[in-house]
Amino acid sequence: MSTIQISNLHYQYPTSDFQLAIDQLSIADSLVAIVGQNGAGKSTLFKLLTGLVQPQKGAVKINQRNLATLTPEERLRTIGIVFQDPSSQLFNPTVEKEVAWSLSQLESDAELVQATVKKALASVGLTKLKDQNPFDLSLPEKKLLTIATVLAINPQIYLFDEPMMSLDWPSQRLVTDLMQYLAQTGHQVIAITHDMDWAAATFSKMVALAAGNVVFEGTPTNFFSCPEPVKKAGLLPPRIMTIAQEVFNDHHVYLTPQDYAEKYPAHQ
Amino acid sequence: MANYQKLSINQLSFTYQHDRVPVLNDLTVSVPLDHIIGIIGNHHAGKTTLCRVLAGIVPHIIAGNLVGSCQLGDQSPVQDWPAYNQQTGFVLQDPHSQLSGLADTVADEIAFDLLNHGVEETAIQQRVAAVAAQLQLTAQLQQSPDSLSGGQLQRLAIATAIVTRPTVLILDDPTSEMDPQGRSDFFNWLKTVTHTTIVIVSNEIDELCEIADELWVLEKGHLVSHGTPLQVMNHLSPKWQVATPTIYQLASLMNWPLATKPTLFPVNFNQLRRCVNVNHSN
Ligand SMILES: Nc1ncnc2c1ncn2[C@@H]1O[C@H](COP(=O)(O)OP(=O)(O)OP(=O)(O)O)[C@@H](O)[C@H]1O
Ligand SMILES: [Mg+2]
Repeated sequence: MSTIQISNLHYQYPTSDFQLAIDQLSIADSLVAIVGQNGAGKSTLFKLLTGLVQPQKGAVKINQRNLATLTPEERLRTIGIVFQDPSSQLFNPTVEKEVAWSLSQLESDAELVQATVKKALASVGLTKLKDQNPFDLSLPEKKLLTIATVLAINPQIYLFDEPMMSLDWPSQRLVTDLMQYLAQTGHQVIAITHDMDWAAATFSKMVALAAGNVVFEGTPTNFFSCPEPVKKAGLLPPRIMTIAQEVFNDHHVYLTPQDYAEKYPAHQ
Repeated sequence: MANYQKLSINQLSFTYQHDRVPVLNDLTVSVPLDHIIGIIGNHHAGKTTLCRVLAGIVPHIIAGNLVGSCQLGDQSPVQDWPAYNQQTGFVLQDPHSQLSGLADTVADEIAFDLLNHGVEETAIQQRVAAVAAQLQLTAQLQQSPDSLSGGQLQRLAIATAIVTRPTVLILDDPTSEMDPQGRSDFFNWLKTVTHTTIVIVSNEIDELCEIADELWVLEKGHLVSHGTPLQVMNHLSPKWQVATPTIYQLASLMNWPLATKPTLFPVNFNQLRRCVNVNHSN
């Protein structure tokens, strides 16, 4: 299991007023959700965690090593990212070549590359589209394709920027299962999401950002039991909690409808 | 005979150019104008294509073979484009592909269609400011559209679609990147819009069940179910693999059916409140 250590991190874009400033943040859990309003700095944090942009101050350490000192190859093997906008990540003429591209930077055995690509495409259900041009795919298919490109490399740490975005129900379950499998097999999975129901049901740790700062880190139960940081981050609790509050005037923490049903006898 | 008070689709099929298999297959359905219609279904169900037909993009911009008819009141997106296009607002599934590419600032991007509609300068400024405030983009008005976060960009796509006050609003998954509060505000706003026919594709089944007059379920190009959210959610086939709202899940787990129709479970707050008042008032 990996540990990400952030200290005194400062970043500002040249053309906007936004400032990201994180004093101390350590991420060591296997399933972590990053939440916060639009523009809170979530995707910017991911760009810093992958070295896509350089902080003006401070550093990111992964397993005690400064991210800036990793070779490009080490970096690819350590941390992989699925971008929010999948189109920004795609540039190969076919789906299959797209998945093979980054992997072939690391692996010269063509047969191994091919086998790995095949497996990665199968695990997101895109095998049938392997000869299509990535730009002809629908948005959810592009999203699944970018997930496959990272799976093929199989880094230690997976960053997913809004993986559920525009996925239908079967694909949402597929990606959730995949993330849980990755976590169980020793990887660290960090996902940005606006889906509080999904975050509450799936993750063991939540980090909330507001206006470029960390305003909460802890378990979903802790997060949703304090209305203050939830409000500060401009978020809402899981729907089951809103239902309990508005219909039954019940202010307990519930993460899922099943959770409510189990606690119901005790709370009556 | 055209029905001037309805959105009616009749034996509609569509096949994209260079494809052999139709993406939409013999759809027939009609609802009164000014209703909110929620479209649900999985990948390849044909949701985006149906939006494109309703917006006239198919077959006018994206070619293919369209059979059957589609009529909104006295106009058809197929026959009466571009007059129809002038009254239509469309939010694409991918907000990145919606930008004009011609505006340097968010403010100019929002003003773009108003200029095309010949709205006068002071009115433009007022409307841009109002819609930016509604979508919480005021702080970004002078920023370049290229430098927005994903959710800000989606808010901008919505702003450009609604700023012209269209009478037909077609929304293809418009809140996929919005934060929870923004999503909730947007759905609440949709409920308040009058004199507008709204067609919305979304995975947010909880919100759809709160606001939609009618839900259409598409599966592999076929319209497999349509009716009120209550009826549709209570008669889903497991084969369609569509999600149900949290209220429905809760009520089924707890066995809280509707008092008036004991075979159905509630799908929205109003229905839940009514059935809980009856079940709990002991
Ligand atoms: N390339 C850029 N240049 C200038 N400003 C930027 C750039 N990218 C993002 N910003 C600004 O930085 C802030 C944070 O953006 P970021 O993309 O990190 O937000 P986010 O939390 O991921 O939001 P969302 O939920 O909408 O994806 C926003 O106010 C945005 O306008
Ligand atoms: Mg983002």
